[in-house]
Amino acid sequence: MPLIIKDEYPEVLFREDGKRLDGREKNELRPIKMEVGVIKNADGSAYLEWGNNKIFVAVYGPREVHPHHLAKPDRGILRVFYRMATYSVFDRKRPAPGRREKEISMIISDCIEPILFLELYPGTSFEVFIEVIDADGGTRCASTTGVALALADAGIPMKSLVSAVAVGKIDGKIVVDLSGIEDKAGEADLPCAITWYNKEISLLQFDGNMDLNEMSEFLDLAKDALGRIHQIQLDALKSKFLTIQEKSDEIIVNKENQGES
Amino acid sequence: MMDVKRVISKIEKNYIINNLRKQERIDGRGLWDYRKFKIQSDIISSAEGSADVCLGETRIITGLKYEVGKPFPDLPNEGVCTVMAELLPLASPLFERGPPDEQSIELARVVDRGIRHADCVQTKKLCIKENEAVYILFIDMYVINYDGNLIDAGGISALTTLISAHIPEGKIENGNLEWTGKYFTGESIVNELPIVITYGKIGDIIFLDPNLPEELVCDGRISISVTEDKITSIQKSGAATFSIDDLKMLGDKSLEIGKKLRKDLNLWQYKAKYK
Repeated sequence: MPLIIKDEYPEVLFREDGKRLDGREKNELRPIKMEVGVIKNADGSAYLEWGNNKIFVAVYGPREVHPHHLAKPDRGILRVFYRMATYSVFDRKRPAPGRREKEISMIISDCIEPILFLELYPGTSFEVFIEVIDADGGTRCASTTGVALALADAGIPMKSLVSAVAVGKIDGKIVVDLSGIEDKAGEADLPCAITWYNKEISLLQFDGNMDLNEMSEFLDLAKDALGRIHQIQLDALKSKFLTIQEKSDEIIVNKENQGES
Repeated sequence: MMDVKRVISKIEKNYIINNLRKQERIDGRGLWDYRKFKIQSDIISSAEGSADVCLGETRIITGLKYEVGKPFPDLPNEGVCTVMAELLPLASPLFERGPPDEQSIELARVVDRGIRHADCVQTKKLCIKENEAVYILFIDMYVINYDGNLIDAGGISALTTLISAHIPEGKIENGNLEWTGKYFTGESIVNELPIVITYGKIGDIIFLDPNLPEELVCDGRISISVTEDKITSIQKSGAATFSIDDLKMLGDKSLEIGKKLRKDLNLWQYKAKYK
């Protein structure tokens, strides 16, 4: 039993100046930082800081399937394991994976599968490991976004990237990218992901209540935010190669200087 | 991507051994050099203390959580500090999913024993009321990248996590457990800083801080925890055997290396900023 029982949920989720509790506008995302190639042992990896969320993603594959009976003779298989560290949440999480983690693993796997060419890799597996080391609402969307980055970093052929974000309703107003407290105290939460090759929704869950007008408003707002997230993903992938370019430029310059002296 | 293999070829093994015979390492270090430590503290906002420690390419992220519970009947006025380690399959193709295996249990236990027997955590200060309420601290280590010598990286990360701790202070009032509104920090519960130092052994050559290829080809390892002037725990693992003279030499060496490392890392700089 922890000592501090978290305060009851705040009654209003907007400040007097009309902004949200953390100072964001309704359509504003939390600060997002993405980096690829952070885990040297993995074939591909990504690290995300999305508000207070901190997430590592690693991809291994194509590699041999363990246990062997899961292998399919005509196609590769994709396995996603979403896990949270014991210290990533307010009350210490039990170390063994729970029902929530298993469900999220499955929906992320289903979301990612359409962008891969699994039929080109019979008898193999792609394994994606997600470790949430700090959580503050929206970890499944951040994880999905990170998985797309890690797959791209691994050089696995993909139709396109996937981006994900949650939209929701707090105090009757529709907002994007719910924080932990907004998720718990708000009225509705709709995480969704888009596969960019066909611009269709590949992950969709909803909890709360909405009418049809609100639903279309939700999806329009999500589409706008997803575009911005896609841009951050592309920048993260490009910056990896820019860094390599800078390093090689440096080496060339150094060599030239040595030649002169 | 690094090239991680389950089996190291004979040619590579011979290369490692021949280098060691010449007092050289494949990564350019001397026999008694550590790889570079890189430490960050208090990086997890949900945890009551945390550390991100890199030893070369080995990386461990550790967090501290607490609970208030009943003390053990034989230690009615002492809190409890437990250490857990997870070798995430994310960290290396050598790690598999599933419940903790021998390697992760060894890591957790060696780090735990180093701390437990060194007068490091002042468990008596973790008591709220005798026989009724004490703090139970959970130090959970997650391996993010594996490049050899998890034990030393884990030891430093557990210590840094404890030092960076900021835990709500409790009191018992009218039989109820309450928060005083204040926090106590790692500074007030940590006394000595035990440092665990691991050596590898191949043939008759002993060397400090084995990296992954060295760990895979070495006959065995020995981990020695030292405080300022005492040895507090030893763990020999693997199939190597050590002579009495070797052990005496390693004891001396450990105290010396421990002193230097304690000074170089200056772990007290990671104490919690607020109270």
